[in-house]
Amino acid sequence: MSPSVLQRIASGDSAAVRDCIEQYGALVWSLARRLSRSPSDAEDATQEIFLDIWRSAGRFDAAQGSDKVFIAMIARRRLIDRLRKTSAEPPMDPVETLEAVAWADPGTASETSFEAEQATRALAELRPEQRQVLELGLLHGLTQSEIATRLQMPLGTVKSFMRRGLIRVREYMNVDAQRVLSEG
Amino acid sequence: MSERGPQDQPDEAMVDLLIKQVTDGLSPAEQRALDVLDSAVVSAHLRDFERAAAAIALAGSANASPLPPDLAQQVARQAEQHFGAVAGADKPIDLAAARSAPAARAPAAAPRSGAYGWLAAAACLVLAVAAWNRPPPQAPTAQVSPPPAAVPLPAVRPAPPTPAEERAALLAKADSLKVTFGATKDPAAHGVSGDVVWDPATQRGFMRLVGLAPNDPSMHQYQLWIFDGGRDKRYPVDGGVFDIPANATEVVLPIRAALPVLSPQAFAVTIEKPGGVVVSGRQHVVALGAAG
Repeated sequence: MSPSVLQRIASGDSAAVRDCIEQYGALVWSLARRLSRSPSDAEDATQEIFLDIWRSAGRFDAAQGSDKVFIAMIARRRLIDRLRKTSAEPPMDPVETLEAVAWADPGTASETSFEAEQATRALAELRPEQRQVLELGLLHGLTQSEIATRLQMPLGTVKSFMRRGLIRVREYMNVDAQRVLSEG
Repeated sequence: MSERGPQDQPDEAMVDLLIKQVTDGLSPAEQRALDVLDSAVVSAHLRDFERAAAAIALAGSANASPLPPDLAQQVARQAEQHFGAVAGADKPIDLAAARSAPAARAPAAAPRSGAYGWLAAAACLVLAVAAWNRPPPQAPTAQVSPPPAAVPLPAVRPAPPTPAEERAALLAKADSLKVTFGATKDPAAHGVSGDVVWDPATQRGFMRLVGLAPNDPSMHQYQLWIFDGGRDKRYPVDGGVFDIPANATEVVLPIRAALPVLSPQAFAVTIEKPGGVVVSGRQHVVALGAAG
């Protein structure tokens, strides 16, 4: 198996940085735009995320998942940290614009990544209002309290939906990972 | 993905904190509460929840817009600074070596002890590649301009086909779908015509618009919407924000749907605030076409 772009960066591959920006720039930019308070904030966040990627490439473990999910994890950590520090500022998107993103149907996400396919399969089992909570929290960066306000839903319900959704996706990923390991 | 015993299962309070860390981030008090718990168990479960959240984020980020060229260049420069610092501040970037480096992806790993001049090349090449896919400013999901000719290095790829050429090729495919745009009653729709060519298999498509007025991107932008048969009609799929350049009479624009479109039923163009919206108020629908 050829090394991933992160493994190549860690080993000093001279083309890996360019390849990483090419392959994952859109992913990082997409996450940054959604989870930032302003366009300029998204640009700053993107640069910080790539700096985190350069610093963290050596810690990537292919046995724990794809490089794409590793990069998404790094990006989300940075973006959540930035959001938390600027939580007093209003979100970039107005209230009425935060309800449209629908989830990919199971079977169509495998081109994105193995993990995305697992996630969409797990999400397909959730009720629409549960998916909406995950969408607002994980794709738009709203806090659980903000979601409760937006959806006029008790905070406890929001927490419960978020909890069940993440646990369900986690179960799918771990089961599949164990199956892969056992078959390997 | 190590096996965990019952003693490694997190309790309710830990799960709540972990999920809050993954979604909202923790307050200092919450972080202190997490810090006193078993660090090994916390780390393992936190990683699992972070992976789950990242996977969901990936599932919702299909067909993402490319990194803006200027930002890609900044990122590449930053990488140059970062790795240059690692290599030693006294080592200058070897630009001559960078220019002579092979343009194609290196097939084998270069030794870490090598010069970091390649990072300068990376900066230039990223700019070149990103410029190849350059979207218009503030309209990252559509492009109307041909790629700029001036890049700092010799071209590393053949000249890409124009959107019009790509549209023609897509139209020639047997399984592509063509939908004709018609004007609406909106005053801004007067004289507007065009069509959409969409390939369900590759999820690629192009819209051709004639007679749509040039817009000032700082005031408003156009946005394409795709009504998918498998989705709630209230929430069509975002097909991209775009601009009509001054003096343009006909434009061909690539469609970059934010989500997979399984069964397109209709396409609509609206006028929205700069940057577009997630849900359109549909106050100004300037082009509309229904499939079949």
